[in-house]
Amino acid sequence: MAIMGTFAFEEDFLAAAEKLQSSGFDNISLLSPVPLAEAQKVLGLGKSAVRRFSLAGAIIGALAGFALAAGTALVFVLPTSGRAIITIPPFLIITYEMTILFGVLFTLLGFHVVSDLPAWRDRPYLPAANIDRFVVVVEGAAGEQAARAEAIIRQAGAEEIHHVEEDQ
Amino acid sequence: MFDHGQPSYAEVNKDILSVMLETGPRYWMLLGTTMSVAVIFFFMPWFYQLIVGVGAAGMSRNAYWGTYLSNFIFWIGLSHSGTLLSAILHITNSPWRKSVYRSAEAMTLFSLMTAALFVMVHLGRVWFVHWSFPIPNQMGLWPNFRSPLMFDVMAITTYLTASSIFIYMGSVPDFAAVRDASTGTRRRLYTIFSFGWRGTAREWHTLGWAYTFFAVFVIPLAVSVHSIVSWDFALSIVPGLHHTIFAPYFVCGAIYSGTAGIVTVMYCLRKFLNFERYIGQVHLDNLGKLLLALSLIWSYINMLELFSSWYGGSSFELEALKFKLTGFYAPLYWEMILFCAFVPLLMFFRKFRWSWNKMLLISILINIGMLTERFIIVATSQPRKFLPNAFGFYFPSWIEISITIGSFAIFATMFLIFIKWVPAISIYEVKETLKPLRRDA
Amino acid sequence: MKWGNDLSTFVEKFRQYLKPGYYDEFDYHWTMTIDLDRCTGCEACVVACQAENNLPIVGEKRYAQNREIKWIRIERYWEGEYPDVKMGFIPMLCQHCDAAPCEIACPVFATYHNQDGLNTQIYNRCIGTRTCAVYCPYEVRYFNWFTYTWDEPLEQQLNPDVTVREKGVMEKCTFCIQRIRLAKDNAKDDDRRRVRDGEVVPACVQSCPTEAMAFGDSNDPEAKVSKMMKNPRGYTVLEELNTTPSIVYLKKAHAES
Ligand code: SF4
Ligand code: SF4
Repeated sequence: MAIMGTFAFEEDFLAAAEKLQSSGFDNISLLSPVPLAEAQKVLGLGKSAVRRFSLAGAIIGALAGFALAAGTALVFVLPTSGRAIITIPPFLIITYEMTILFGVLFTLLGFHVVSDLPAWRDRPYLPAANIDRFVVVVEGAAGEQAARAEAIIRQAGAEEIHHVEEDQ
Repeated sequence: MFDHGQPSYAEVNKDILSVMLETGPRYWMLLGTTMSVAVIFFFMPWFYQLIVGVGAAGMSRNAYWGTYLSNFIFWIGLSHSGTLLSAILHITNSPWRKSVYRSAEAMTLFSLMTAALFVMVHLGRVWFVHWSFPIPNQMGLWPNFRSPLMFDVMAITTYLTASSIFIYMGSVPDFAAVRDASTGTRRRLYTIFSFGWRGTAREWHTLGWAYTFFAVFVIPLAVSVHSIVSWDFALSIVPGLHHTIFAPYFVCGAIYSGTAGIVTVMYCLRKFLNFERYIGQVHLDNLGKLLLALSLIWSYINMLELFSSWYGGSSFELEALKFKLTGFYAPLYWEMILFCAFVPLLMFFRKFRWSWNKMLLISILINIGMLTERFIIVATSQPRKFLPNAFGFYFPSWIEISITIGSFAIFATMFLIFIKWVPAISIYEVKETLKPLRRDA
Repeated sequence: MKWGNDLSTFVEKFRQYLKPGYYDEFDYHWTMTIDLDRCTGCEACVVACQAENNLPIVGEKRYAQNREIKWIRIERYWEGEYPDVKMGFIPMLCQHCDAAPCEIACPVFATYHNQDGLNTQIYNRCIGTRTCAVYCPYEVRYFNWFTYTWDEPLEQQLNPDVTVREKGVMEKCTFCIQRIRLAKDNAKDDDRRRVRDGEVVPACVQSCPTEAMAFGDSNDPEAKVSKMMKNPRGYTVLEELNTTPSIVYLKKAHAES
């Protein structure tokens, strides 16, 4: 079962989040209409792993770019303009473009992996969270745990509290 | 930032989404017009040209490249401001970017597509265009990566991919807002578009990082794209094209015309979509200052180009220079100088920078100037190459002129479709510039 | 074992391909010399090329638009003021540059340098970007703006050894590659390793009434062209561009007045 509490103000929302975090709930989501650095801090999100994807993509792209240009020049040797078959300067341009292409594509991949999107199942969500409300979602809490979470949320000044059944 | 008072969070959603969700007859009429203009002026002449051959255009042995290529550069140039500016302003954390950047990026995307169309129109045998892509084939034959055109293919596909990803990822939270505000098929569609976005701290965090990386990748990319386009010309040994200054010249010109394009688009958004509340004086003022700076750089580089041709003293260069400055196309050349170097100086005055109508006029003049700039590059250098016996003259045929007109309609069509599919202003980023939802605010 | 060999040949090839200037090692180096002192500007070569290579007749209108296709043209230059004028001719055709600016321009390798030192044009591969023509400083590339047809019975005159090009394709002088091909085949049939000097005669050279043109393999020091090239009057057009053309012109000698 998931419990959702909506808040109209950032402070209350953050307070609830901190409280929940410190009392040991580890499956909480903090929904907000705009990115909040504080909320990310509460969850302890530092440097994102996306950057590793970007770096890997850029390196792979650079190698692939040069390999593409040089390799295709070698498999079918067609001399032009008295240049070397493997002409470094123009191939560096191809390398440059491919670095960026792969960097971007891998960053995109990294985004999907790290953020766990696209979502393949319905997740607890309130449309108000995309307008002007902050929503705390506690998932996977049952029985007494759930009651405790609800109390914390209510105490922090939640406007409304919703319970949703999660389809497992 | 807001000339007409701060909207509330809910109002932002409502204002911006209503443009998407409510469609009046005026929109359909406009869309119908631009579409038919695109078909009649662009696709029909192109079809005719496909049947008879490129000879339908006015090109000849004097100029193997004509308006198609100059328009290609123009549209690529126009695409240069959106994504690039958006990325730079994102990295430097400028808040005024937030209500302008979505449409600016859309402009990038659509002008890039229009530019790509011009390549197709230009080609003699467009039905074999796939040979210029590195696709494995049974012939074992690959494209020539030493060719400047191949740099172009790689750069433009990369740019197209990167800028579509950039604009798409920036819109994911807004797609979620559309999903929440709609029903039926549209809702299902936007559920897919938004990847099931909820706006959790983790999602925002990842998006923020990914977005910054996109921005970091896009900036050098955009610079490289127009440098590469300039090398199509500069890597030839044709007098008047073989200049080292070409890469910075083109990049600067591209950003210049792109920024002017943004002003034009901003004006239309404000006027026709009632975004007065979100696009205000600050944006106009900042864009005006940027345009002014760019115009000064552009004039400087232009002077440098003339100077180096003259100072180099090679008779071929001098001949090309003479043709450019005093030949048949001299009036066009001086028109360009007037529109791109002198008219923008008016923006030194706040009176001009602060008036939407005046800025609209200036921005349109700049882009007319830039369109002719590109035309002059192709039309005055090629007819004056090396052998006097082959000197000639190039004038576009009516097909080229009509296709040029049609391309604007194509761009407008794509833009009109865009405003119904993607929120034209970034909802969540506008909210970021509002007063935060705090008790103490 | 095999892999090791493959790798070492690969490395060796890689090294070899890194250095420019492979064109010193052509099998043949087809070269033409044109003696301008002998050229009378009769344009027999132009007609011969037209006939040999299936060049289309574009018609008056398109000629006026500068869309003619003439792989070899006679350029006419005037020197001095009337009445003291001198007229000079220079036949201009593809120079088969060893460092051809046109070749790097092609994104699909429709034009490249072959082992005979020829700048080749592969019509079937051409996609019509026309970049090569823009890059060529001699302006000797011609584009098929339309598909040209031959009215009956003129199609009977078409040379079966040469393709007929369609619209959207670039073309230019090939040094009559079909004749080179034939000569090489004959040499092979006769068990000769090389083509003999004078065995290949391009149409334009063949038709020249004053024998202003000579054609041959300049790798062979005994060939007629090699001797002609040593003539002190020899020069190449637009030498300052470093395109290293394969056509050597012999300057017109003027009597000192
Ligand atoms: S003369 Fe022109 S077409 Fe011929 S090889 Fe040289 S650059 Fe190429
Ligand atoms: S060598 Fe052959 S193709 Fe070239 S100009 Fe002479 S006749 Fe024409």
